Amino acid sequence: MRLVALPRRRYREARYAYATVLPVVLLVALFTIYPLLFALITSLREVVLYRPWSQPFVGLKNYLDVVRSEFFASAWAHTLTFVVGAVPLATVLGFAIAHLLNGRSRLAAWLNVTILLPWAIPTVISGIIWAWIFNSSYGAFNGALYSLGLIDSYVPWLSRPRSALLCVLFAHVWKEVPLTSILYLAALQAIPDELYDAARVDGAGTLGILRRVTVPLLLPTTLIIVVYETMVGIVTFDLLYVMTGGGPAGATSLISYYLYNSMFVAYNFGQGAALAVLLAAALVVFILVYMRLLRSEEIYAT
Amino acid sequence: MHVRALVASLAVLMLTATAALGAAPVQLTFTVWSYSTDVILDNIKKFEARYPGIKVSLQDFAWEKYTDVMTARFVGKTPTDLAYSSDHWLQQWAAANWIVPLEDYFPQVKAYKPDFAPYAIEGMTYRGKLYGLPYYADTIIFIYNEEMLKRAGFTKPPATWDEVTRMALAMKEKKIVEYPIMFQFQDITPWYIEVFLSMVYSYKNYQMFDASLNPIFDREGTAAHKVAQWLVDGMRKHKIINPASLETTEIPLVKAMGAGQVAFAVLPKYNLADLNTPGAHAQAGKFKMALMPGETHGTVGFVRFYAMTKMAADRGKAVQDAAWKFLEYFGGKTDGKFVVVKRWALEKGLGFAQLPLYQDPEIRAAINKWGNVSLEEEQAKVARAKEALTPFWGTWSLEFQKEMNKALLGQKSALDALKAAAAKWKEMKK
Repeated sequence: MRLVALPRRRYREARYAYATVLPVVLLVALFTIYPLLFALITSLREVVLYRPWSQPFVGLKNYLDVVRSEFFASAWAHTLTFVVGAVPLATVLGFAIAHLLNGRSRLAAWLNVTILLPWAIPTVISGIIWAWIFNSSYGAFNGALYSLGLIDSYVPWLSRPRSALLCVLFAHVWKEVPLTSILYLAALQAIPDELYDAARVDGAGTLGILRRVTVPLLLPTTLIIVVYETMVGIVTFDLLYVMTGGGPAGATSLISYYLYNSMFVAYNFGQGAALAVLLAAALVVFILVYMRLLRSEEIYAT
Repeated sequence: MHVRALVASLAVLMLTATAALGAAPVQLTFTVWSYSTDVILDNIKKFEARYPGIKVSLQDFAWEKYTDVMTARFVGKTPTDLAYSSDHWLQQWAAANWIVPLEDYFPQVKAYKPDFAPYAIEGMTYRGKLYGLPYYADTIIFIYNEEMLKRAGFTKPPATWDEVTRMALAMKEKKIVEYPIMFQFQDITPWYIEVFLSMVYSYKNYQMFDASLNPIFDREGTAAHKVAQWLVDGMRKHKIINPASLETTEIPLVKAMGAGQVAFAVLPKYNLADLNTPGAHAQAGKFKMALMPGETHGTVGFVRFYAMTKMAADRGKAVQDAAWKFLEYFGGKTDGKFVVVKRWALEKGLGFAQLPLYQDPEIRAAINKWGNVSLEEEQAKVARAKEALTPFWGTWSLEFQKEMNKALLGQKSALDALKAAAAKWKEMKK
């Protein structure tokens, strides 16, 4: 076999390409691959911060301990409840608000900016605001309900397991809806007017246009929103931390809170890393499903 | 000649540079939880004026999040030289080698021991060595609103937990307040366990653990069981404990009490000074302390202290010297007096481990303005340090709190909650 030498120019181009890509590859390796490997290694060792002198290799023990823990099942149950509530609400409300904003109103530009405000507020701050609003002694929510005669005395919303989770869910949706609205708005504005005109000529009403034109064309955006909101829901932490501290009695401890608890409360970095790996694996599976669903041919074929 | 001149100039330059470097101040980073930061900054200013060669940079974090922040700082090696610490974190922090025994670096610290209350020494000692000088030390006390109690027809504060129930029911019946009792029982607040233990320590057989540190608190009829059952009954049966206790932390509880929404609370003693500060609360001036209700009136004595980190120790002699000056100024004596500790006591009503201060007429007069110095001394005499402070104590306490809240929510019986908490302890002890 005879080796064919690359022409000099092609060789230079290839060298230039590698040289320009190399820094990015190094950065990715430093900030993504190294931490990932470090987490994997940590998850296979017993790393407890107050026993720094002993970090033996324990194989899959951390994974087994984490999965067998009573908290693991309850944290996933809370997480799934949270996600099942948050994703449809953020999606439907975002869709509805985007429709309102898409009107050719003179206020549209101003509204577009205003609607983004909750999203622009740091999550910790919005958590503090909502904790005040739902406060059982002086909260505005209780105040409003009391003024309207709907309650006889102030209700400790954040002290009851179900209502505490609902309050956090509400605060989460309030924070997420602006983003979903803007994404939907951008997608709506990209739909050519001709399609609507054609549908009207064919005799379609408002609902018909929505069902046959808008919804199918917004399907890729909907999928992106659903996937993004699911991932955000699963890893939600800061709102819980500020509003309820995971309580009462662990009722708002989602899986992310369990991870935090293992690492920064129990100081068990081995188990925390195992949980992080499991969480990342669950998200990767989810992303793969999403990648499959997002193939445009399949979407438009439906 | 030119060469000589050049050498001489270089020598002068080097000397100047060395002198300048020598004069550069030692920079210390000091972390605290947010409480009266203005006073801390003023103390730092005075300290820096006294020691011009030392500069202190202050960083403060919320009390509820302090231990998380500090863990992240220690693990991430964020520069931290001096830090507030607490008896319930000492074992963890010391075992992890995040803070160092002061005795190893400053043997002169031992001379302070005779001045400190025994429970405070115990709270600052790990493996026989002293790790700190006290920022403040105090007891958990029972506080009541005297006017509300009188309106309910009582002239004396409750002496037992049954009396607390009886008085609270009377207040509820007379519609003085819907829920006369409130606690700070949010899942993660570090005060939760201290309040619970202070109630346990008010009984004769208060022990939670045996001599080998095995839990015994999960047996029927123990002091812990009595307290847990009293709390569950108070919340679920008698409805005298505010259900919002489960979302409440220290400051909201003090505010609710100050606003007249709470008649009885178990709180760290310094809150009494705040509650009775004229103008600070609607009900200011109406609050009094009573000995902790119960059989012995015992309670928890706790200590918060200044600690030096391993990071500071590793920075060398100059930093260690500066750190000692800081520690002694803030937690020890300056010109033979406990200057900073006395200031906290006078201005904020913080308790102190430095027993000679109880003889100080200024301090006695200051305490009597908002409290009762004799009663305070009496309560301090029956205070005890928390038992079984192991490296996993802080972690376990949060598990305990979560289980106890399940009982308060009616998801478990009081005894089952204690059994679950005991099981967690055994698991962590392995």
